[in-house]
Amino acid sequence: MRLTFGILNALSALVLLVGLFGVVEPRFWALDVPLLTIALLELVSAVGLLAKLPWAMRALAVSAWISFGLGLLVVSLIVLTMVFLRGIHGDFGVAALAVSSLIVALLVPYTVVLPAIELLWLKRQSVEPQP
Amino acid sequence: MTVRVLSKLLAVWAATLTVCAVVIFSAVRIDRARVPAGPYVVSVWQRGERVARTVVSSDPEHALDGDAKRRGAQRIVEQIVDSAPIFGHSWLVLGHSLVPAQDGLSATYLGRTVYATPDDLRKLEAYEFIFGLGPVSLILGIDVNKVLAALSRELGTEPGELLRHGSFRRFAVTSDAAYPRKFSEADVTADAVKASVQEAARYLSRNQRKDGSFRYELNAVTGGESEEYNYPRHAGATYFLARAGNQLHDEQLARAGQRAAAFMKDRVTLRCGAHTCIGEGDQVDIGSAALAVLAYVELASGGYEEFRAPALELAEFVRSLQRPDGDFKHFYSVSEKHAIDIQVEYYTGEAAFALARVHRLSGDARDLEAARRALSFLVKRSPWFLGSHYFWGAEHWTCQALADLWQRAPDRVALQFCLDWQAVNPNLQFDSPPAPSVYDGGISRGPFMAPRLTPTGSRLEAAVATLEVARAAGVSAAEIALLEHQIKRAFAFLLRYQFSPGPTHSMPKPKLLEGGFPGSALDLHVRIDYPQHAGGALLRYWELGQK
Repeated sequence: MRLTFGILNALSALVLLVGLFGVVEPRFWALDVPLLTIALLELVSAVGLLAKLPWAMRALAVSAWISFGLGLLVVSLIVLTMVFLRGIHGDFGVAALAVSSLIVALLVPYTVVLPAIELLWLKRQSVEPQP
Repeated sequence: MTVRVLSKLLAVWAATLTVCAVVIFSAVRIDRARVPAGPYVVSVWQRGERVARTVVSSDPEHALDGDAKRRGAQRIVEQIVDSAPIFGHSWLVLGHSLVPAQDGLSATYLGRTVYATPDDLRKLEAYEFIFGLGPVSLILGIDVNKVLAALSRELGTEPGELLRHGSFRRFAVTSDAAYPRKFSEADVTADAVKASVQEAARYLSRNQRKDGSFRYELNAVTGGESEEYNYPRHAGATYFLARAGNQLHDEQLARAGQRAAAFMKDRVTLRCGAHTCIGEGDQVDIGSAALAVLAYVELASGGYEEFRAPALELAEFVRSLQRPDGDFKHFYSVSEKHAIDIQVEYYTGEAAFALARVHRLSGDARDLEAARRALSFLVKRSPWFLGSHYFWGAEHWTCQALADLWQRAPDRVALQFCLDWQAVNPNLQFDSPPAPSVYDGGISRGPFMAPRLTPTGSRLEAAVATLEVARAAGVSAAEIALLEHQIKRAFAFLLRYQFSPGPTHSMPKPKLLEGGFPGSALDLHVRIDYPQHAGGALLRYWELGQK
């Protein structure tokens, strides 16, 4: 699992960095700072896990908790923005709702699901007897 | 973290998010359908400027009586239907809290409240804040700086102070102004269509200078005029005027078309190697030449024989730029005397249509063959690209070329292409409800923006051309009925917003603008290609009804 999480964290970091700096324009700190923080933490933990460094598990725990928290925050902000715009503009059509939902659906696996699974795995590691 | 803890955490998050969402939604939404019960904002306008305003709770028809009786004054009553607060004191939130062309904004500061109604915001041109990012421009809500400046001026304070310490509400109104007009699909009759075409063409002839050029772009709310000019658009406007003159047997319009064409022939015709071309400077484009060919052919067939030879010469230039695959090299270096193999939107379709039209004049088989090959190139779709069914360019010239060639070189693939494109367009067409009734039939450019008239007009040129061919080709009655329904709804949208006579109270020079089609409900500029495309589509539909 260390290897799997290492690769997944590296991939997630890459997707977030490319998405953030390659696709999203213009720069907006409220989105940039949390996503960049998550990406860098995941990158550090990926290096630790793949290189089997002694601090890897601790780094994974820190990255997973912060990713999980910020991930929930980012998803919340997007959902509340959608609700706000829906309140202002009324029924603006299925297409706009579908696009907004797609954005959330694309973010959730990297920013919420993966760190949640890592946290569950870390807990199991801490209670299972080591061979 | 255990599964149990995770589940609890997610449940708490979801519950908190739901509560926040419900609170935000309830606070910001307004009900536009309710019976108006709010105060009346009464304004008196004179020569396009607001000269008096009062807010009353009843009897608005007698408010500001003295001002309303002044010469040329118009009283406009807007009643507030519903309103909602705008959160915080943030530039960003304020910028995104108004629906363009629908909402007004009130500001309260030190116990005084002032109103910027939809009329005021349109007059300020503050409904769209355009943020430039290299070649891309984004529309990021309303122009907060303009709105705050106007409101703070009325309140006797500074914009920054007002944003920090004022409180804001957005509101919806009903207005007794006669713009946009009430116009439904049922009102799209042959007479209404003909009258609209005449008005659009007269707009262009009224705004023509002595040398045959046009006032390129007029701003209805300031009366100002743009300094820019564009030859493809000049040629397109000329083509529309010449067609309107011919089809409506209107000598005045035909003469205006002749003057505009003479401007191209005598002032901006250059030598491009062995051929003639249209433009200025070191480089010219194929679009100007192609649209000039269209105009010349129309004038020559209307009896202006002096345009026959220039049409044939320009057609040779257009043909000389064709590539082996049917496409064209779109530019030509005048100084270096060679074609430039670069392509941009529209020009291939314009060239295809121009060659199809000029063949009627020249009888030259090379023109017909070149037009046929160009059309075939335009409608080629790779079967491996699934997205070709969903992503479309601007194909209005393509489908007009299809219609013009149908009797002489019918292309079934091109017909299917145009039918498929028309089948996609209803997905972009506003439906009311849920859209505001004034937008019904317009082509959407995004959920948060007012629809523009010219994309609707140009799509209609193609839609009517497709309808014509679909009838001739025996396409099913159900498909034709659906297409015509879509067309009539879109025409109703255009006619609602044509300046007939428009929001004259906020226009300093309403007579100059009469008959023009603006950019959108909130962009009251008229550029020469706006009446060209909208009027061109309407004229094509009127012609089809006469056949």
